[in-house]
Amino acid sequence: MSVADRTQGPTPRGSGLEPPSALSRSLDALAARLNRRAGTAFLLPGVLVVLFLSIFPLIVSLYISLVRLKFVKGGFELTFVGFANYAKLLVGIDHVHFLGLLANPSPLGWLVFGLVVVSQVVLLVQYFRTGKVSVAGTVGRIVVALGVSAGAWLIVHTLSPAGRPGTVVVTLLYVFVGIIVQYLLGLGLALLCAQHLPGRRFFRVVFLLPMMITPVGVAYLFRMLTDTSKGPFYPIWNALGLANTSWVTNPWGARAAVMIGDIWQWTPFMFIVLVAALESQSVEPVEAAVVDGASRWQIFWEITLPEILPVSSTLILIRLIEAFKIVDLPNVMTNGGPGTATESLTLHAYTIWRTLDIGGSAAVAYMLLLIVTFIGVAYANLIRQRLVERA
Amino acid sequence: MSFLMKRRRRNWSIFTPSPVGMVLSYLPLLGWAFVVLFPLYWLVVTSLKLPIDVDSGPFYVPFVDFKPSLHAWHYIFYDLRNDTFRPYWNTVVVSLTSTALALSLGSAAAYALTRFTYRPRLGAILTFMGCAILAIIAVNLRVPWQIAVVAAIALFIILLTTIGRRFKRALGNNDIAFWMISQRMLPPVAVVIPIYVLFQRLDLLDTWAALIITYVAANLPMVVWLMRDYFQSVPIELEECAAIDGASRYRTFWSIVLPLSLPGLVATFLFVLVFAWNEYLLALFLTSAKAQTLPLTIAAQNATRGPQWWYMSVLILIMIIPVIGMAIALERYIARGLLIGAIKG
Amino acid sequence: MKRHLALTLGLLVALSLIVTACGGATASPAPTSPPQVVEVTRIVAGTPETVTLQVTAPPPTEAPMKYAGVTVNVLTFTGPQIAEPLQRHGPEFEALTGAHINVNIVPFSDLYQKALTDFATGTNSYDIIVFDPQWMGDYVSAGYLEDLTDKVKSDKTIEWDDIGPFFRDFSATYEGRVYTIPLDGDFHMIYYRTDLIKEPPKTWDDYVALATQFQGKDLNGDGKADYGSCIAMARSQQSYWFISSVASAFIQSQGTGQGAFFTTDTMQPLVNNDAFGKALDIYKTISTLGPPDQLNLNVGDTRGLFTSGRCALSMDWGDIGPLATDKTTSTVIDKVGAAVLPGSKEVLDRATGKLVPCDEKTCPYAIDGVNHAPFAAFGGWSGAINKASKDEVKAAAFDFLAYVSAPAQSNVDVTIGKTGFNPYRTSQFLNREQWVESGMSAVAASNYLGAIEASLNSPNMVLDLRIPQNQYYQQTVLDTAIAQFLAGELDKAATMKQIEDGWNAKTDELGRDTQLAAYKATLGVTK
Repeated sequence: MSVADRTQGPTPRGSGLEPPSALSRSLDALAARLNRRAGTAFLLPGVLVVLFLSIFPLIVSLYISLVRLKFVKGGFELTFVGFANYAKLLVGIDHVHFLGLLANPSPLGWLVFGLVVVSQVVLLVQYFRTGKVSVAGTVGRIVVALGVSAGAWLIVHTLSPAGRPGTVVVTLLYVFVGIIVQYLLGLGLALLCAQHLPGRRFFRVVFLLPMMITPVGVAYLFRMLTDTSKGPFYPIWNALGLANTSWVTNPWGARAAVMIGDIWQWTPFMFIVLVAALESQSVEPVEAAVVDGASRWQIFWEITLPEILPVSSTLILIRLIEAFKIVDLPNVMTNGGPGTATESLTLHAYTIWRTLDIGGSAAVAYMLLLIVTFIGVAYANLIRQRLVERA
Repeated sequence: MSFLMKRRRRNWSIFTPSPVGMVLSYLPLLGWAFVVLFPLYWLVVTSLKLPIDVDSGPFYVPFVDFKPSLHAWHYIFYDLRNDTFRPYWNTVVVSLTSTALALSLGSAAAYALTRFTYRPRLGAILTFMGCAILAIIAVNLRVPWQIAVVAAIALFIILLTTIGRRFKRALGNNDIAFWMISQRMLPPVAVVIPIYVLFQRLDLLDTWAALIITYVAANLPMVVWLMRDYFQSVPIELEECAAIDGASRYRTFWSIVLPLSLPGLVATFLFVLVFAWNEYLLALFLTSAKAQTLPLTIAAQNATRGPQWWYMSVLILIMIIPVIGMAIALERYIARGLLIGAIKG
Repeated sequence: MKRHLALTLGLLVALSLIVTACGGATASPAPTSPPQVVEVTRIVAGTPETVTLQVTAPPPTEAPMKYAGVTVNVLTFTGPQIAEPLQRHGPEFEALTGAHINVNIVPFSDLYQKALTDFATGTNSYDIIVFDPQWMGDYVSAGYLEDLTDKVKSDKTIEWDDIGPFFRDFSATYEGRVYTIPLDGDFHMIYYRTDLIKEPPKTWDDYVALATQFQGKDLNGDGKADYGSCIAMARSQQSYWFISSVASAFIQSQGTGQGAFFTTDTMQPLVNNDAFGKALDIYKTISTLGPPDQLNLNVGDTRGLFTSGRCALSMDWGDIGPLATDKTTSTVIDKVGAAVLPGSKEVLDRATGKLVPCDEKTCPYAIDGVNHAPFAAFGGWSGAINKASKDEVKAAAFDFLAYVSAPAQSNVDVTIGKTGFNPYRTSQFLNREQWVESGMSAVAASNYLGAIEASLNSPNMVLDLRIPQNQYYQQTVLDTAIAQFLAGELDKAATMKQIEDGWNAKTDELGRDTQLAAYKATLGVTK
């Protein structure tokens, strides 16, 4: 591993007035050697710590996804079963639970699917037109196109009236709807708070609070709040005539409840980072634009937004990775929903794991890893780079 | 450094809204503040209720709607005092320690990723993975783990020095950073049993050390990503000046870069602290009695015979109060923390 | 300022490294008396020499304690149910014998694999687990539990014969050997408001009729509409036991040995037939005759609803009896009655899969032509001992469990609702005074205990599933399918097929013959 410095190295000290002693010369040499190795010294401890706790568990859990656990006299035994656990999820007994019940999509569904496929083809064509084509780039983009189309196909077929989404689609729903709403809400609140309003600091502190509560706590809190007979909103439900229905026993109502809890909890994360980014913008371009007579909207769209795009893209990537692991809210609020309506992938793995079917649970977790890696890599390589370049 | 401080004071006059604008701004802000604060108020109110008041339907204001009672607080703080204070202390120690360590190692790594160019060779990485897998297989075949690990490291070094020259294809800084953040992609439920077995072999179960090491490894990628953006904005000229004056890289990092990034450090500290403070699944498995942390106590209030809302509210409140206190105290850093492009040329 | 901050940061990092290094020794170690230094003169090979020895002073008590210095680690779930009595009796036991009892708690849903992982990986941090005896199939077949057969026969404190025969001979045994000590008795009953209902329902059709009658009426005078029946139907909670309570009346009629889950010749699941179908219909109907979010309620919620007067009927374990007398939680003191689970006038013909009417041959244990099959759901919290613990610790552990289970302690504990212990000893049914002392009226106590007795003495009691990996059969397959059925995701036929396929797949995976042998072994109640 070679390390190239981006700054100049230090020049040896000493004014040359006295001959350097042997000790100080060797100390100097040592210091210089340490300094050259600074690149390694800075990075290696961190990498080692992460490596230590990632190598063994990752490889072992991959192995576990290929076995079945059984308790026998004297302990337990793991039988190697190859891809049986994965097969169960994709085509076997559990596939309806995992992928969903497929049915013919509605006309709107066909339209959406068609649009997605067309957009992928257009992007591919655009890429080839640029001329800067490489093997890796082509293969990568084709894989992305196929993956996105497959995802769209699954979503459209399971969200149709006769179909039922499985845990994959439900998780994708939570992630994408959640992130879009959290980002827009966070950005809106940040824009409002970046103004020179009296009492700004109060709002900044208050808006930070939901993120501080432990996820299990938030889940129980929302369970209390969404209770239609004992919860605080009972008078409102009653007035609306809803006292005798419960929204958590309806699949979409339950999913909405989970998403609301998720948005409540994680909007602060977006909010705080965006406030910081907005407050750190340089003033000169904005002042110049005002002098030139630009409207607030133009200032936002042309100046502010490009400046906060790099931060936003990092933020969205971090939040994307975390959002896929949602488990406490659906678990505590509805135990996975009426039937399996609100079950996310991690909850799916967790319920299987509770009965010590660790093979099946690891298989679900690795499918989740596959999906997240795919989306993460696609996002990082394709979208994020564009956003950073644009800034 | 004073000229840099002056530049931070912005002229906000262009951002002062008109009176109409002010009203329009306050409405959504107050609305969202209500959305945030009402559930917390409900928590406080529920912690003061008797079970029968909770079950009979919503009561809103103490002394007006219902008679408040301190039975839940008494139960948690008095009857269960050992079971409350010990997890509390454990949570405080483990979170603060792991966050401090993650910050130091992580910011060093983040700094390195912005200032140095790394080119880890793909071949070297694959060789390393191969040796690691061999070591794990050896351990499974009953070879004592110390021998397996040493042998694997020796094998790796030998391979590297002999056929190492052949590897040309290399990755870059961004790949290293992405590898780090990808560690967070796998849900903990998949790795909890291997990590449990790992710490069991090291005889570290139910100790602070196990939790601290795990949290450092889990949260370090977050520190790296959050601090990377920030270090990139510290102008490199300052460090070059320091280098010309004869300062070593370590000195530069410690005396110049870190103080300038203090706000970012503080903000990241708060984020990572929150993650460590609230973690549940790994704590459940790596601890049993001595090192149990507070999220376990909260989840445990859901007995098989049903959740006890009053106790749970008390526990959630005592869990968030210190974190909120810290957030209020550090709030001014947070906003100016994560300054991206703060000191633009 | 920056200097100081840098210094503080540095100190913090240094401190954290030190803390991590010392992380091994966390909580205060067990207090031991400081060793004293004593000079002793001894004669070695003819010459006297003075030697200094370190002697640890004996603990400052008068009589020698039987288990002085022994620590017993107990694992159970977070209470206060079950954990509270253990935590309370710990110091009492320590005062008597010197053994220190350490009660560790984890959330209920994680108890199963926390204990199993601990044993399977050889960590052995726990000496006693207080758990669900249904799980014995996994723990015993892997050899993790100590065989207690001889000890319970010879021990005086435990009064083994006082324990109800059902819990003694079935719940505590596996393949003929005793592995657990019962601390609690578990099975389902129905509860009804005696001020609204004079005669408890005898069949499930009666139950549905009564629930329909009271659904939507105001039952506690607060102006809000209340509910006919409150049952905990939430997923991943207790719903999978409640469906078995409904179904067993249709499925089992020839006595406990017939079993209610599988056929005893081919291990075929008894879930894809008319009997289970009828039970599903009834369960679905009942789900519409309760609170609107009944599909999200667990037993804590339904108990709260029933004791605040909002339900006319409920089905539950024995907890509602004592809870209904608690003044801080109940508005229906002395208005609650208990009864044996409703039965059915038709039962399953296993050969044809159809329902046939009850007569002397098909329902030999019928009462007034109705076949009752009380379901001993869960089996009753019991204590088991880790086989890998040291002998001394095992002896102390056994004595502790015997102490907690002994009539002197147990008979008081079962009258307190908070302990989660329900009656399981004959002396607890016969002795009504304790119940009256605890706050139940004589009539209520009679009624409550009478229902328990009737259930326990029924020769057609249904035993809960205890074959290896029963968690998977019930919690993963059955529970998910029922949740989907109630939510309308699956229809009746699809539900029954899904359960059957899931159960058969697991049986084949584990070996049909071994599972069948295990199933027959658990049903072999020798009495």
